[in-house]
Amino acid sequence: MWERRLNGSELRFHLAGINNENFIMQDDTSGSWWQQVTGRAFLGPRKGWALPRVPHDEVSFARWKEEHPTTRVLRPESTAVARYASANWEEKMRDYPVVTPRRKGEPFEDRDLIVGVEAGRVSKAYLLSDLAKGGPVNDRLGDLPILLVTFEEGRSVRAFDRTLPEGAGEFYWEAGEKPASLIDSGTGSRWDLRGVAMSGPLAGQKLRRIEPLLDFWFDWKTYHPDTEAYKAGR
Amino acid sequence: MAGRWRGILILAVLAAASLLVVGLPMWLIQPFRPQTPRRLEVSFLLRKWAPLATLALASFAVFCCLKLWRSSPGPFRRTIMLLLVAVSILPAWVARQNLFEKMFRPLASPSFARTDEATFLEPGDRVMGVELNGEAAAYPIRALAYHHLVNDVVGGVPIVATY
Repeated sequence: MWERRLNGSELRFHLAGINNENFIMQDDTSGSWWQQVTGRAFLGPRKGWALPRVPHDEVSFARWKEEHPTTRVLRPESTAVARYASANWEEKMRDYPVVTPRRKGEPFEDRDLIVGVEAGRVSKAYLLSDLAKGGPVNDRLGDLPILLVTFEEGRSVRAFDRTLPEGAGEFYWEAGEKPASLIDSGTGSRWDLRGVAMSGPLAGQKLRRIEPLLDFWFDWKTYHPDTEAYKAGR
Repeated sequence: MAGRWRGILILAVLAAASLLVVGLPMWLIQPFRPQTPRRLEVSFLLRKWAPLATLALASFAVFCCLKLWRSSPGPFRRTIMLLLVAVSILPAWVARQNLFEKMFRPLASPSFARTDEATFLEPGDRVMGVELNGEAAAYPIRALAYHHLVNDVVGGVPIVATY
């Protein structure tokens, strides 16, 4: 999700093609080509420009509605709805060929769904199915203490900066709680999935959100060649 | 003898050049084929100049056809000449179309529903959501996975939702 206002001009984007299974956008004023996953122009008069990232969320409609009751919802286009992807299209994509070259010793399979996060020059990839298995993951991205939580049967992911007033917090699920909530072991405060402390000493505090990108491994590694990889149990 | 076929030869070359101008980028940036920076650059330049180049080639083909009509006697040769001119004109039309958008029908003016009107979604359906300056918008993943991008303005901020 990108802001399409840059250096004083408002851009309008069209589909222009595909680059190793990631699509190319074209802005209609300069005709430059932009990569969807990076938000950067790589050919044309605007080469080198980078669109500002817009924080977004990828969750169930039910949760989005609950957290944003006044939201508007894109209507399906009646002439195209029959051709919309099925809900599990990512699994269906598994068998399609991958054209990105593979190096020796890569941690994941090309079409593994990963969660990518980055801060400054550091980036890290987590296997979605690993994250979904256990409790929240308290990890570090470079110097930054981060927290990754999955919910909705492991299909939704949110990432936070887990820096608390007293230093990095360690979070775990509150047992049996529905809807799921988190406890930080330092203060015992209860946090919801938006990263807001609902009760306890830190009530009212809010964790800073970090934008996770759900992507196929082959695509993530193309644009983050120095990415670290998280392996559960290591 | 050779002179009689000269018209056809010239027109065949023009038709082939015309097809190449629009066909090469299509072939280079087709899905599930590896793209390199070089191939992308060639495609970009061809796409950029294709409308002009194909128009020039088509015009030249029409011109040559008229010029060589008399020296290419016989209905057989002339039919082939006309077909080749048609083949030269077709890319001029193709170069002015966005084939990717024909495939994925971008939403020129996306239409939205309130949550109580959104009967087209199940609670478990996944959405990409954004909230800016107090305004929230949700784009169902299944729709985005097809259209790939939606130009929108949320909370006064022009955005493009991509998937």
